[in-house]
Amino acid sequence: MLNAPSLHRQLKKTHASKNADGTIVSFTTIRNAPKGFGQKPYTVALIAFENGTKVMAQLTEDGLAPQIGASVSPRLRKIRTLENGLIVYDRKYVVIAAAREPQIKIQHYVLALTGPSGVGKTTITRTLLHLFSSYAEQVPIYTTRKPKREEVEPYTYITSKKFDELLATGEMIAETTMQSTTEDRRYGYIKSDIEAMWNAGKLPIVVTDIHLLQGLEKNLGRRAILSCGLLPPGNSRRRMLSSLFHRLRSRGRDTEEQIKERIEVAKTDLAAFETYPHLFDHLLVNDELDVCAERIRGLVEG
Amino acid sequence: MQETISVLGGSQTKFGELWGYDLKELIDEAVADAIRSAGIMPTDIDAIVVANMMGSDVNGQGHLGAYASSILPHHPPALRVEAACASGGVAIHTACALLESNRAGTVLVVGAEKLTDASNEDITKAIMSAGDNERDSASGLTFPGIFGLVANRYMYEHGLTRDQLSLVSALHHKNAVTNPYAQFHKEIAPEVISTSALVADPLRLLDCSPISDGAAAVILSTTKSSPVQLLASHVANDHISLADRTSVTSFMTTRNAMERALEEANVKREDIDVIELHDCFSIAALIHMEDMGFAEAGRGIELYQEPRLAVNPSGGLKACGHPIGATGVKQIVDCWKQLTKKAPNQTKDATVALAHNIGGVAATCALHILATNA
Repeated sequence: MLNAPSLHRQLKKTHASKNADGTIVSFTTIRNAPKGFGQKPYTVALIAFENGTKVMAQLTEDGLAPQIGASVSPRLRKIRTLENGLIVYDRKYVVIAAAREPQIKIQHYVLALTGPSGVGKTTITRTLLHLFSSYAEQVPIYTTRKPKREEVEPYTYITSKKFDELLATGEMIAETTMQSTTEDRRYGYIKSDIEAMWNAGKLPIVVTDIHLLQGLEKNLGRRAILSCGLLPPGNSRRRMLSSLFHRLRSRGRDTEEQIKERIEVAKTDLAAFETYPHLFDHLLVNDELDVCAERIRGLVEG
Repeated sequence: MQETISVLGGSQTKFGELWGYDLKELIDEAVADAIRSAGIMPTDIDAIVVANMMGSDVNGQGHLGAYASSILPHHPPALRVEAACASGGVAIHTACALLESNRAGTVLVVGAEKLTDASNEDITKAIMSAGDNERDSASGLTFPGIFGLVANRYMYEHGLTRDQLSLVSALHHKNAVTNPYAQFHKEIAPEVISTSALVADPLRLLDCSPISDGAAAVILSTTKSSPVQLLASHVANDHISLADRTSVTSFMTTRNAMERALEEANVKREDIDVIELHDCFSIAALIHMEDMGFAEAGRGIELYQEPRLAVNPSGGLKACGHPIGATGVKQIVDCWKQLTKKAPNQTKDATVALAHNIGGVAATCALHILATNA
């Protein structure tokens, strides 16, 4: 139950984010309006906010000329007229400052997220992709395992033979094998994928385990990796494993058998933080998703 | 696929402003021609799937499954599917499910749309129902507007120029010259495209597929055979609004559907000879080719600067026309024509064809791979 002060605080927070200034991701001027929006051309922009959310909204006619990367601030203005003559007001945005150079200067490094299964690597990655908007991209994972219908990671499926070839030619710079009762699953990263993202001025995000991390360290160099270890909440190993267990169960992607396997692997994963401390720059507890993602963004932006 | 699904035949009406037809007559003509081309009896059809987006809104006629059933002598069971501009592709996918589950042995899929009876203003509004009514429509955004945002961002990220972009529609128009069913049969020079009326900058009139009437029908079967088979059928989905996505210049649904379809069909990207692509707007064609892995991000335009692949030999949505519900079905008809050497703009020795159909700003992607069994 929300008590009065916390309710008000929350309302204030929502209100603040709705009235926050944003940045133009893209914009266009509409010349053939749908019914109710009049005959005069108007500009609509996709606007991104600090917290990673985006909106579609009209820009006002006053203010500076729109530009990708320009800053905008909300105003309440007439947006359309209903058939019965009533006027609808909604939030429009005024361009208040020209585009600045992107704040994040991407040096050639990758952001690596390491942690046991169920700690939230996928969810954090997805949140980070939103937070960084077009500045970050997840590096595709090459795998020999059979495709599943409801895939959440950007997998590229290859045969074991192809996997060996890529390793032999040195194109694959990191690999790992997941022992499983049903099939041998191998996962790897290709160097050219990472380089292509660097060339496009983007920050590559890799989801790793300790073996993938070691491979990346060996081939890219330790300094080219901003390495974050993710820990489940809990101040003892038992508590951590128990919270992983609950998360794996509640996300409903694995059978009980698979969850048991994953927990076994998780034990080694957690031990790796202690065995290879030099491979990690930061260890973060993923207790609350937004807080954790925000902290990682802070680390990237310096 | 769990069963061998053969494409027995298919047909389409002419696409365009068809003042002499109503929605039902379009369906009648496409169905009759498809049955004839498949060489079957109407009573061989066990089920019908109808693809249509706006019959209820624009023509005042919903319940199109029942209508399609009523024009066959034995009134087979029928249903209608809607997935915005991907209605056709999703209808084919639905037909595959009926065939794979042995619910039916031969299925008729018919897609139809009749749009030119309504005013542009009304159509613009009705098409926006493919967007998110809270996140997109409230701001007065239109579909050309959505793809205008995409194009503007793409140009910013990849340095694509206005004159380069014009090569896309120019090629599609050139391809349609020999297609008797196409809405336009006129070659258009890139300079004319670059200076056509602005619709939602940087997109101009000739970057946009037209508002069209038309229908297409195809007959799929597991009990009868033909030289052309459907090797893969996949549908992928994402958030409706761009405001909820991470990327504005790449569509996850196409990437996912393509990976899964190649896997299912057991063919390589290089094996594909012909592509019918969802070029609702010129910029979309470039993004789709990149997302399907035929070009690197930002380099899709190279496929139009030096064509090395048969992309939209029919003219695509731009030149052949885009009667929304019919489009995804018509793509299968065109692939079937290419593989049976019946196409007006025939690709030499085509044995594998791909149909790529999206709904909205690729919130749905339906992707099919067809091949000859030769």
